[in-house]
Amino acid sequence: MMREFKFMLRDKAVWVWLSLAFVFSLAAVSLGLNEVSQQNAEIAELKQLDRAERRTNLAAQADWGSAAYYTFHITYDPPSDFAYAAIGQRDVSPWKHRIRMLALEGQIYETDANNPDFALVGRFDFAFVASLIAPLLVVLLLFDLRSGEQVAGRLRLIEASAASGAKLWWSRAGLRVSALAVALCVPLIAGGLVSGAPILTLAFCVGAVCVYLAFWTMLTLLLAPATRTGAYNLTTMLGTWLLLCAVVPAILTQLIERVVPLPDGGEIVLAQREAVNDAWDLPREATYEPFLQRYPQWADHTAWNDEDGFEWKWYYAFQQVGDQTAEPLSQSYRVGQARRDELARWSSLISPATLMQRTMERLAGTDMQAAIDYEQDVRQFHGVLRDWYYARLFKAEVFDADVAIETIPTFDPVGR
Amino acid sequence: MTAIVVQDLRVSRGGTEVLKGISFSVDPGSVYALLGGNGAGKSTTLLTLLGFLTPDSGSASVLDNDVTQCVSRVRQQIAYLPEAATLYPHLNAYENLEYFLDLAGRKTTQLELDQALDEVGLQLESRSRHMEDYSKGMRQKVAISLAILRETPVLLLDEPTSGLDPVAIDEFNALVRNLAGLGKSILMVTHDVYGACQVANRIGLLRRGQLVGSFDAPAGERIETDRVHATFAERATA
Amino acid sequence: MSSAVRIAREEWRQWLRSRLAVLSFAVFTILLLVTTVLTTLDVQEARHLRLHQQGQAEEAFYSQPDRHPHRMVHYGHYVFRTPPPLAMFEPGVDSVTGQSLFLEGHRQNSAMFADARAEPRAGGFGPLSPAKLYHLFLPLLIIALGHGVILREREARTLGPLLSQGVTGAHLYRGKLLALGALVGFLSLPALFSSIAATALGESLIASMMLYIANVLYLGIWAALALSVSIATRARGVALGILSAVWVLTVLVVPRVGVTSASATLPTEGKILTDMRMNDDLRKLGDGHNASDPAFAQLRTDLLAQYNVNRVEDLPVNFRGIVASKSETDLTATLNAYAEKRMKRELAQAGHLAAYGLVSPYLAVGGASRHLAGTDLETHHRFLREAETARYEFVQGLNKAHIEKLSYVDDMNRNNGEEGGRRARIDAANWQVLEEFRFTPDSANERISRATSKLTWLVLWFLVLVCFGLISARRLTP
Repeated sequence: MMREFKFMLRDKAVWVWLSLAFVFSLAAVSLGLNEVSQQNAEIAELKQLDRAERRTNLAAQADWGSAAYYTFHITYDPPSDFAYAAIGQRDVSPWKHRIRMLALEGQIYETDANNPDFALVGRFDFAFVASLIAPLLVVLLLFDLRSGEQVAGRLRLIEASAASGAKLWWSRAGLRVSALAVALCVPLIAGGLVSGAPILTLAFCVGAVCVYLAFWTMLTLLLAPATRTGAYNLTTMLGTWLLLCAVVPAILTQLIERVVPLPDGGEIVLAQREAVNDAWDLPREATYEPFLQRYPQWADHTAWNDEDGFEWKWYYAFQQVGDQTAEPLSQSYRVGQARRDELARWSSLISPATLMQRTMERLAGTDMQAAIDYEQDVRQFHGVLRDWYYARLFKAEVFDADVAIETIPTFDPVGR
Repeated sequence: MTAIVVQDLRVSRGGTEVLKGISFSVDPGSVYALLGGNGAGKSTTLLTLLGFLTPDSGSASVLDNDVTQCVSRVRQQIAYLPEAATLYPHLNAYENLEYFLDLAGRKTTQLELDQALDEVGLQLESRSRHMEDYSKGMRQKVAISLAILRETPVLLLDEPTSGLDPVAIDEFNALVRNLAGLGKSILMVTHDVYGACQVANRIGLLRRGQLVGSFDAPAGERIETDRVHATFAERATA
Repeated sequence: MSSAVRIAREEWRQWLRSRLAVLSFAVFTILLLVTTVLTTLDVQEARHLRLHQQGQAEEAFYSQPDRHPHRMVHYGHYVFRTPPPLAMFEPGVDSVTGQSLFLEGHRQNSAMFADARAEPRAGGFGPLSPAKLYHLFLPLLIIALGHGVILREREARTLGPLLSQGVTGAHLYRGKLLALGALVGFLSLPALFSSIAATALGESLIASMMLYIANVLYLGIWAALALSVSIATRARGVALGILSAVWVLTVLVVPRVGVTSASATLPTEGKILTDMRMNDDLRKLGDGHNASDPAFAQLRTDLLAQYNVNRVEDLPVNFRGIVASKSETDLTATLNAYAEKRMKRELAQAGHLAAYGLVSPYLAVGGASRHLAGTDLETHHRFLREAETARYEFVQGLNKAHIEKLSYVDDMNRNNGEEGGRRARIDAANWQVLEEFRFTPDSANERISRATSKLTWLVLWFLVLVCFGLISARRLTP
C-alpha cells in the first residue's frame, strides 16, 4: 500500500486532478457557507423588523379588523446546519413569507424572483461538485490506469511481477479515488465544523460520497479495459458520464412532468381572487354559508350590526371563502408536487446522479419535501392566526393594542 | 528437476490456433532459445508460461508447477523481461527497481541495487536520472538488472536484443551466459539467429505454431550459426 | 483535388471506420433531433395556447356584467407572453420567469408559477433544449473526435512521411480544420432547421441566421481548440485530459462561479425587505380606497376651490374616483421607481456575469443566443414594462369612468342595501377601456445590437485559436 501511495504521489496528473477537486470543493463549501449565513442574517433582520413593525402597526389601530389588515407576520424556514452543502430547492421555492389575514392563496405563491440569468446557469454548491463533477474526476483519474501501462508496454511486466494483477489495479484505483474522496470531503467536513452540522449527517454525507465514487470507480474499471487505448476509454467514459449525469436525469424530469401534469398555478390565484371580488356583490348569506360550514362555532355571531354596510368579520369571512374556493385546485397542485417528488425519488433508483443529489438535499433539508413542509407550516400558522382573530372579531371584543401586542401568535419554525 | 516442461501445448488467440502442439523442455542452468519469424508463436509461448493465456490442451509447467493451476507460484519463480521493456519514464533507475521489486514482494538495499546495476554495466552517473532520458540499451540494462534482482531460478526473455546496437548486443549476450553459469534457467525467444547461437545451449525452431527443428550445442562449444541459418531460411520460407 | 480536401476526406474515413466515433456521432445526432423536434412542438403548442389564453382573458373581461368600476379594477386581467419563434431553439428565461402576469389595481405582481418551481428534482442539468445541447454537451463530441486529428498521425508514425512529402504543417492544419469544419457543419443542421422553421413562422431571416452562425462559431471555437491541443501535445491521453479540463472549467465551473461573484458583488435586496420599505413609502401616499384619508385633504380643498362649491357632494365629478385615480398615479410612480431599480440591478448583475464570457465562450454564446432569440433578460424586462403600462392604462380608464359615470352620492350609498348596490354600477360597455395585449419580440436590429459584443468575443476567440493553431502547425515536426 505504502509503495502504491508513494507511486501515486509521483504522478503529476494525479496531483492536478486532486488539487482541482480540492479547490472545487473548497470553493463550493465556502460559497455555500456564505449563502447560508446571508440567509440567516436576512432572517434575523426580518424577524427584528417584523416585530418592530407589528408593534407600531398594532398600536396605531382602533379595531381588530384593521389590526388584522395592517399587520404582517414573518414566517421563515431557517437553513439547516448542513444546508451549505446543498442549497437545492431553496433557490426556487420561497423560504420566507410575509403574510397577513387576507386570503392565503393570494400570498403563498409570492417568491423572491432571483435574476433569471442566474437561474439558467445554476449554482456552484457541494451537491453539484459531488454529484456531477466528481464522477468526471474519477474518470479522469482512472481511464488510463491500465490502458496507459499497456501502451507503454509495462502491463505484462507489472502483472507478471505482482502475484495478483487484479489486486494491484484495485489498490491503485482505490488509492486514487480515496485521495479524491479526501480532497472532496476535507472542505466539506471543515465547513460542517464551522456551521455546527451534526456529526451523523456529515458522516452519512461522506459515506454517500464514498459509495458514489466507488460506483464510478467500478464503472470505469469495468468500461475502460487495458486492451483499449486511453483515448478510447476516456471517450467511452465521457459518454457514460453524459448519459448518466445529463441525459437520464433530463429524460426523467420530462417524463415525470408529462406523467404528472400540474394545474396551472395562475388558475389557483385567479379562482381565489374572483371569489373574493364577487363576494362584495353577493348577498352576505352566500359568504357566511360556506364559511360557517368550516367554522360552525361562529354561527350565532354573524348578525349585521354596522350601519355603514361594511363589517370586518364579513370581509375576513369572504377572504376565507376565497381560500376555500381555490382549495381543490390548490390541493391538487400540492398533491401533484408531492407526487412528482415521489416519482423523482423512485426514479433515483435507476439514476445514480439523481440519487446522489437527492440524498444531499435530503440531508441538507433543502429538498422538495422540505419546501412542501414549510408551506404546510405557513398554512398552519395562517390558520392559527385566523382562529385568534376570528375569536376577537366575531365576539366583537374591544380592541386593546397592548393586549394584542402581548398575545398575538408568532411564527415558530421549531414547531415542525 | 527440469526448469520448464512444455507438453503438446495448443493455444488459441482470437479464435485462431497459434500454438499447434509444441513440446520442449529447458534444463536447469541452461539457455533455451526459441527461434522463429514473425507470427510463429514465440510471444504466445511466453505469455502462456506466465499464465496470461490458457492452453486449449497440453500442459506447461515451471519447476513442476502447472502454469494453469498455480499462476501466482509460477510467477514467483519467473523473472520476465518483455520486449522493449519500458519502465516508468518519470522515475529513475533506483526508483523503478525499488517499485517493481516491492511489487514482487522483495525488499532490497541500495547496495544490492548498485551491485545489480554494476553487473549489467549501467554507468553510475545515469542511475539517478529519470529514465525518459535513457537510450534503449540503458533501459534494457535496467530491465535485466530487475530480472537479476528478482533472484528467481527462471528467466523469460522476449526479444531482448532487438533494437540494440552491436556492442550492447555483445554485452547482453555475455550477461545471459553468465547468468546461466550461475545456475539460472533461461528461456528466450528471438528472431536473431546469430544471437541465439551465441548464447543458447539448445535452439528450438518454431514455425506457424509448430517446432520444426532442434539444435543442441556440443559440450563446451556453441551451436554452428550456418547450420541453423540454413535450416531456418529453408524451413521458415517453405 | 486540393490537399486540404484530401486530408479532410481521409480524416472522415478514419472516423467512419471507428465504431466508437460512429456510435457517439449517432447518439448525438439522435439527441439533437429528438430534442429539436420536442422543443419545437412544445414551443409551438405554447405559442398557440398563450395566444388563446390571452384572447380568453380579454373576452372574460369584456363580458363582465354592469358593476361598480372599482370592482373591475380588482377583477384584474391576465397578460401572456407568447414565446418568440426562436424559442424553439433557445427557450431562455421563460421557464424561470413564467410567461403570464396578473394585472390588477394598486399592485405590481411578479410573474408567478414559473415551470422551474414545480419541476421534479431529478438532478443533472434539468430538461434539455437544443441550445443546452449545443452549448453544454456538443463540445464533448468535438473533443472526442477532434483531439486526435494530428496525434493520430503522430502515433501511427504517418506524420513524418506526410511532412517529408512536402505536405506542410499549414496544409495539414487546413485539411484537419476542414474535416472538423465539416463535422461542425453536419452537427449544426438541426440548429439550421430551427432557424429556418422560425423564419417560416415570421422570425426575421437575419436574426435567425445570426443565431445559427453564433452557434456554428461556438462549435468552431471548440474544433479549433481541439486541433491546437492536438498539435501541441504528444499523447492522446494528455490531449484529452487538457481538453476535458478546459471543458469542465469553462462550461461547468466558471459560469457558476461568475453567478456567485455577480450576486456577491451586486447583491439584491430580498422581496420582503423591499416590500417593507415600499409599504412605508406607500403609506405616506394615503389609501386610495379611503377618500377621507388626510393625505387627500389638499386635493379636496383644491377641487372645491376649482369648482367653487362647498361640499364634495356638489362636485360635478366623483371625488372618490378622483382620489382613486390620483392615488393610482402616485402609487404607480413609487412602484415603478422600485421596479426600475430592481431591473437596473438585474441588468448590472447580468453585465457582471457576461464579463466572464471573456474566459468562457459558453457564457458568451448562451447570452448571444438568448439576445438573438428574444428570450433574454432585456425582453423579459420589456414584457414587465409593457404589462405595467397596460395595467396602468386600464386601471386609469376604469377610474376615469368612475369619476365621470358614477355620481358621488350613489357611490357613497353603494353598500346601502340592494338598491344602493344597483345604483352604484356602471354600464358594461365601459370595460372596453381594456386594450388588447400582444407581446412581440424586439426588432431584429435591436436584438442583434444587444448580441454584438458577445458575438465579437466569439469571433475573437475563434480567430485567436485559429492563428495559434496555424502558427504551431507551421512548426510541426514528426
